[in-house]
Amino acid sequence: MPKLKLSGVSKAYGATVALKRGDLEIDGGEVHVLIGSNGSGKSTLCKIVAGSVRPDAGEILLDDQPVTVSGPQAARALGIGIFYQELSLAAHRTVAENISLPDLPMKAGIFVDREALASRAARYIALFDGVTGDGFSADATVETLRADQRQLVEIMKALAAETPVLIFDEPTSALDRAQVDRFFDILRDLKAKGRSIVFISHRMDEIFAIGDRVTVIRDGETVGTRRIADIDPAGVVRLMVGEQDELAPPASAPPAANHTGAGSVLGVKDLSGRGFANMNFEVARGEILGFGGLHGQGQSSVLRAIFGATPPAQGAITLNGKPFAASSPREAIRNGCAYVSGDRTRDGVVHGRPILENVTPIHYLRDRLFLARPSALRDKALPALQALHTKFATLSHPINSLSGGNQQKVVIARWLIDRPDVLLLDDPTKGIDLSAKADLFALVRKLAEEGVGIVLYSSEDAELLNNADRILVFNGGQVTRELTGTERTRYNLYQAAYEAA
Amino acid sequence: MMNATLLMEFARKPLVIALLLIVALLVLGEALSPGFASAQQILRLLIVAALLGIVAAGQNLVILGGREGIDLSVGGVVSLSAIIAGNLMNGMDSGIPLAVLGCVAAGALFGLFNGLGVTLLRIPPLVMTLGMLGVLQGLLVVIRQGIPSGRAAPALSNFVSQPFLFGLPGIIWLWIVIGVVMAWLLGRTVFGHRIYAIGSNEQAAFMAGVPVKLVRIALFVLSGVFAAIAGICLLGYSGSSFANVGEQYMLPSIIAVVFGGTPLSGGKGGYTGTMAGAVLLVILQSILTTVNIDESGRQMVFGATLLVLMLFYGRGRAMRA
Repeated sequence: MPKLKLSGVSKAYGATVALKRGDLEIDGGEVHVLIGSNGSGKSTLCKIVAGSVRPDAGEILLDDQPVTVSGPQAARALGIGIFYQELSLAAHRTVAENISLPDLPMKAGIFVDREALASRAARYIALFDGVTGDGFSADATVETLRADQRQLVEIMKALAAETPVLIFDEPTSALDRAQVDRFFDILRDLKAKGRSIVFISHRMDEIFAIGDRVTVIRDGETVGTRRIADIDPAGVVRLMVGEQDELAPPASAPPAANHTGAGSVLGVKDLSGRGFANMNFEVARGEILGFGGLHGQGQSSVLRAIFGATPPAQGAITLNGKPFAASSPREAIRNGCAYVSGDRTRDGVVHGRPILENVTPIHYLRDRLFLARPSALRDKALPALQALHTKFATLSHPINSLSGGNQQKVVIARWLIDRPDVLLLDDPTKGIDLSAKADLFALVRKLAEEGVGIVLYSSEDAELLNNADRILVFNGGQVTRELTGTERTRYNLYQAAYEAA
Repeated sequence: MMNATLLMEFARKPLVIALLLIVALLVLGEALSPGFASAQQILRLLIVAALLGIVAAGQNLVILGGREGIDLSVGGVVSLSAIIAGNLMNGMDSGIPLAVLGCVAAGALFGLFNGLGVTLLRIPPLVMTLGMLGVLQGLLVVIRQGIPSGRAAPALSNFVSQPFLFGLPGIIWLWIVIGVVMAWLLGRTVFGHRIYAIGSNEQAAFMAGVPVKLVRIALFVLSGVFAAIAGICLLGYSGSSFANVGEQYMLPSIIAVVFGGTPLSGGKGGYTGTMAGAVLLVILQSILTTVNIDESGRQMVFGATLLVLMLFYGRGRAMRA
């Protein structure tokens, strides 16, 4: 009898289906690995189990009893604990307090029982004795700790709940080797005690080191469950890729020809900075260079560093053959560099302002304008918006009156009035509809044909495979593989992304 | 149905609300004290409103720039400017150009300090400008011990109180010009669009190449300059300068901006509404005086007005979300 069983669980946000049909079966005394590519729905599945997301349909059985997990509190009461990927610690409180945060020991109903708090903390800190690093103690405040130490606190907090079912959503991302080994010892110990553990990780070596069974999710559907003993890493990748394996060149249109004769428009040599190291690549005029790999492996950081949005990195960048080191986006823009962020709400949209004002800022800067004459600006803005088939009532309507996809089109249109030499796309289609995506990539191709050098980072593998002439796969802040020509297959992409860094 | 909705939308615009309230308050004033809404009296109210409105222009710019932008030092700059102007002209028309130059320079300088503190040292505007107000108040005490208060030049007094064109004194025309310039600046210049951009989404503005710090410093400088201009006019209104004459402008300048539809969070609104807000506040103040409420009572009413306004706008935002 499985400890926890999910069958046919689904969840949609509006028109976006996050999880189509999630099935998962976990026994007592096993470490069950959950794996799937970016946006496949595994996080949604975990959140449903943990009660922070309510499913639209499906059934959850705990000890063969149907249950409704109405919230995080209810999940704890049912005996389900979760380690969240996004750390959820109170920065100004001590390690001891954080470990007991969800369930502070009380005296007389109102006072925190200091002794119980300390002894409970000591118990879990002792588990990691010797690998916690300098400055780690029960009395240290969390804000003084390093990233790996914070992650340990988060793990201790999850362990302290002592729930029969434990979910770890990427618990090892910041840990070093010794810490991971100790953590795995603890997991084996818990397994021996009959606990059920769900483990999400993108590191193939870890999965094979600790897992008993693996369940693969693809495009919101559970594809299958295998015993780790019966499968190898290549087999897991094949499950993740599915039937459409050997898709090399895109079905839609061939990538723009690589104008090698025109020379490189952007050159990056030995570039290192926060979150990435030893970047070496060149982008030719008319080329679309793809950045692939798992989320947050340094792709965004590299693009933002080139654009001058983050503190300068070490290394050399050339733009049109000339040395280029932008200390601000302003400088980068003036030199013909363009950047589109996928987080339009934060980096792109000037909320509450007219569409026109959202299209013109780059034009102001590149043409060193002082006056904003509406009639002249309209003549510039309209063609740029039309090139993307942007739907809007009038230019003076606020940008917030548009759909997400159309807002992103407005943000992109601002780069079309004065043509850039290099266009950096940082996951530009996040959260926009399919037709907007199609319009966007049609434009990107056209820009490439006109000689713009393009770097495309996308968290959607299909977008990369369909549009990039060449793909650099990122893993742990480094480029671990370059895929060119017929190597650009989903299988190769996954294999490079998931292999141990 | 459609018309009703449009009417509702129209009636919800801050400018319309302010104008309706102005009419209502004038009627109320007339009822309380016949003659309150006479042409002569309304003209006097407009002159007082112009003084407040000029200070509020700078306040408006700083608030539009967002990131908790606010200038609490405007009152101090008004006082300082009135004293500098009084001493430089000392009752003589020939001293006016130098006085204007000196005051504007002083206002710009203190605004520059505010701007540098807020951008380079990352001091919150509330703290920075409150500190600057303290500095200015101390400075005023020192100045007053050393030099006489000074007198307004006749031409300046005439500019503020005597009819100049179409029966309106020069200060009203100055205010109208400032109103037109502000509308042009905010709506028709790149600088204006950049103010809205940093006020609405500073990160997006930065990513689009807006020199965020430079714009914000300019806003504080402009606020100092507007306060300095108001200080000169205030000298003309009162004849001679006395310390802390400008202190009364701090809170009302903020209220006028908020009344006019520019939220304290910045990024939207404009100066036309602020002008209406200034007129509204001056009428309110006048009514309070008419019914014999003293200065402390008026301050309480102003403070409460700001809180009620915040409540009103806060609710509006919550309902839209």
